[in-house]
Amino acid sequence: MSRPARVLFIAHDCDLALLAVDDAGFFKGTAALDFGGIPAIESVVSVYGYPIGGNRLSVTQGIVSRIDFQTYSHSGMDSHLTIQIDAAINPGNSGGPVMQAGKVVGVAFQGYSGDVAQNVGYMIPTPVIRRFLKDISDGHYDRYVDLGLSYQTLFNPAARRALGLKDDDLGVLVGSVYGGGSSEGIVKPGDVLLAIDGLPISSDATIPMDDDSVPLAEVVERKFKGGSVTLDILRDGKPEQLKIPLNGPWPFNLHSNAYDEDPRFVVFGGLIFQPADQNFMSAHRPEDLRLRYLFDFYVEDKIYKDHPELIVLSGILADPVNVFANDSRYGVVDEINGRKIRRLADVAEEFAKPADYYVIKMAGAGRPIVLERKAVEAARERILSRYAVTKEQNL
Amino acid sequence: MIPRALAFLLLAALPAFAGATPQPKPLPEKPADPASASILRVNSTNQAYDFFRPWTKKAPYSRRGLGTLIDGGRILVSAELIANHTFIELEKAGTAEKSSATVERVDYDANLAILRPIDPVFIRDMKPMSLDRGARVGDRATVLQLEPNGEIAQTQGTITSIAVGPYPLDNMGLLLFRLSAPMQQRDGSFTLPAVRDGRLLGLLMRYDARSQTADIISSPVIEHFLAEAGKESYGGFARAGIGYAPTRDPQLRRYIGLNEPGGVYVTEVLADSSGARAGILPGDVILAVEGKPIDQDGNYEDPDFGRIAFSHLTNTISHPGDTLAFRVFREGKTLELPVRMEARDSTKALSESYVVDRAPRYIVLGGLVFMELSRPYLQEWGGEWWKDAPQRLVYYDAFQNELPKDRGKIVFISQILPSPDTIGYEGLDNLVVSKVNGQEIRSLDDLAEAIKSPVKGFQKIELEEDPGILFLDAAEIEAHRDTLVKKYALPALQRL
Repeated sequence: MSRPARVLFIAHDCDLALLAVDDAGFFKGTAALDFGGIPAIESVVSVYGYPIGGNRLSVTQGIVSRIDFQTYSHSGMDSHLTIQIDAAINPGNSGGPVMQAGKVVGVAFQGYSGDVAQNVGYMIPTPVIRRFLKDISDGHYDRYVDLGLSYQTLFNPAARRALGLKDDDLGVLVGSVYGGGSSEGIVKPGDVLLAIDGLPISSDATIPMDDDSVPLAEVVERKFKGGSVTLDILRDGKPEQLKIPLNGPWPFNLHSNAYDEDPRFVVFGGLIFQPADQNFMSAHRPEDLRLRYLFDFYVEDKIYKDHPELIVLSGILADPVNVFANDSRYGVVDEINGRKIRRLADVAEEFAKPADYYVIKMAGAGRPIVLERKAVEAARERILSRYAVTKEQNL
Repeated sequence: MIPRALAFLLLAALPAFAGATPQPKPLPEKPADPASASILRVNSTNQAYDFFRPWTKKAPYSRRGLGTLIDGGRILVSAELIANHTFIELEKAGTAEKSSATVERVDYDANLAILRPIDPVFIRDMKPMSLDRGARVGDRATVLQLEPNGEIAQTQGTITSIAVGPYPLDNMGLLLFRLSAPMQQRDGSFTLPAVRDGRLLGLLMRYDARSQTADIISSPVIEHFLAEAGKESYGGFARAGIGYAPTRDPQLRRYIGLNEPGGVYVTEVLADSSGARAGILPGDVILAVEGKPIDQDGNYEDPDFGRIAFSHLTNTISHPGDTLAFRVFREGKTLELPVRMEARDSTKALSESYVVDRAPRYIVLGGLVFMELSRPYLQEWGGEWWKDAPQRLVYYDAFQNELPKDRGKIVFISQILPSPDTIGYEGLDNLVVSKVNGQEIRSLDDLAEAIKSPVKGFQKIELEEDPGILFLDAAEIEAHRDTLVKKYALPALQRL
């Protein structure tokens, strides 16, 4: 029996979605499964699904090989708790349950192909699934929260002594605190994190949790928008306790693959302006060194301060009005008519203002692009019809 | 008796002489090639430093090319031929008579060098060649090569363009002759003289076998180099330090109110450059230099070479110390700005584009290797170094002109030699250093000074990026010092 389904909630940052089938009869004769916990290392699990190789249900079996944080390749940027199993996981298994003792202990979702590694498959474990279900219980998916800082292991004996630490293998060193993130203005680079919500942080950045040692981020992983964590730190050799409100998700998702989004753009005088994000960079693969720098070091070098969005001259609908703009393709827009461009909306606003000339200054050395209003107006219908442009902007 | 191959070559060479020498020469005598008395083979053994292990050199290799004897007992070659030389040998065509040579003057910007034989008697029976400065597009030129048996092989070609183009080592734009000629590689390099009627038109520096075109270091560039070499202090090639864009766009011209027919739009003026000192600003339009109008693409009408980039006026026709009159359009007004031309000291660049004949500087501290960023370091990553080398360093190199004037050198940890002091620091290489023991680091000299004053017994190294900070125990570094030197065979812990 096949029935149409619709998406109730989708969480691209943890590769999970909840579907609904409106026809109540669809589920007749089926029973809902319960969720289990984190299966023990070496315990046996079974993977159910409809992978390649046939049409009927397939079951493969293996053991839990490793419990660790892994990058979720769907977004390409988020890392969460992941369980590695050695049961075969093949294309088509994704989304299927991984079972142990009649309970769902995970959702099969990614793996390595045979030419990279043998018998390495991954499932999304129940803490991630439960978090997703709890997050959407208020009718809205808020995404994960993040500390908004980077930290380093503290193994070096000289560094430990210099920071005033005991020889007890505890503590990690804060490297960067990102602007706009949860910890901005509270934690400082050079602080040593000793405990999170009372759980001692080992020098390899793990904490004891559920009879296991897991990355310290797992504490934050289980929190929600509006929650908080307590950090015990050592600052300039003195212990302090900090409370970090986890208000709002990690604001800089520039590097993560985005889905279900229409590309945003402004077309003016045949020039196409777009914000650069991971999807844009994957689609265009620009060689422009400056654009690559601004994108690659967006978070690390705090580019977001001046450019909450990186607005790029992404394409040119060739027309007499813009023949001299070609050299600036893939340039990042710095100013339009003297206004610093921070977001795509700024571009649309400046072009909407009446002016004799629109002067577009790109980041770095180079001459400005100059468009005369008369020329842009004269070219407008011509460009729209020649290039079948149905919409001049999508903000 | 003449070997068959030689007889064939002489026949092949004859057409080249048809105009100059109407009577065929009797075969048994040595060919009276006027060029052979001025050409000798130059064998240079070169050995570059290894920027991944800055305390050592890479394996030596040899390059062969042809030198041209010019007045004063000097031998002109390309600088590339003898870059990083350890030993230079001159060999007379045909006789295998040899002498070693020293470098009297080298300019890597212009890719030219003057050699002198150790024994002046060596070149006594040779004749210096003079310069031919009058090339025009369409002229014929002859490239000279030496056969293994010492005979001269000649290749005729046509000069297809004369333009300012990039020279290899510093990407400086200087006048090039482009010659279309089918050639074979004979000597392992293309440092070869191009001549006309027994006079030197230029030296080959590149040959593209597919398009069969050679780029020739032009005689005006050679003339400038020799004039500077004759001075008490060598001044080199001056630069205005200005980046510009064409003004062909009528919308741009109307926006800035430019009614003159030509001019180029200044996009960039390098700090401390000749242009900056003269007060040229980004957004200015350069209309003329020394009364010669500049067109919308940045060319002027040269009496000898036609329309070529005006940088030929500033870097080759003028000499460092000369003052050139720039006519500049700024905000509706026309200004006359005298620009005193100066050469740029390439060693002062934030990231040097070449480090030749010099050892790279480094400091090893407890297994951390510190260096100053330079392009040769990045080039160690191979053909696609701008993609493969650490990207932050690539960006520093590419955008160095945009950094604050007082940024100094980029000091970074190039690698970590594992030692008891570096436990936990594995993989932390290619990180840029900002401060050491609280002191700003803008050169390795700053670093050498800063590490003399550890803070509470620790060397505190602050980085521009994660992990942000590293500590080393000063006393333990000393304790492990001899082992480190021995294990990694370091000749010295620093070279400044």
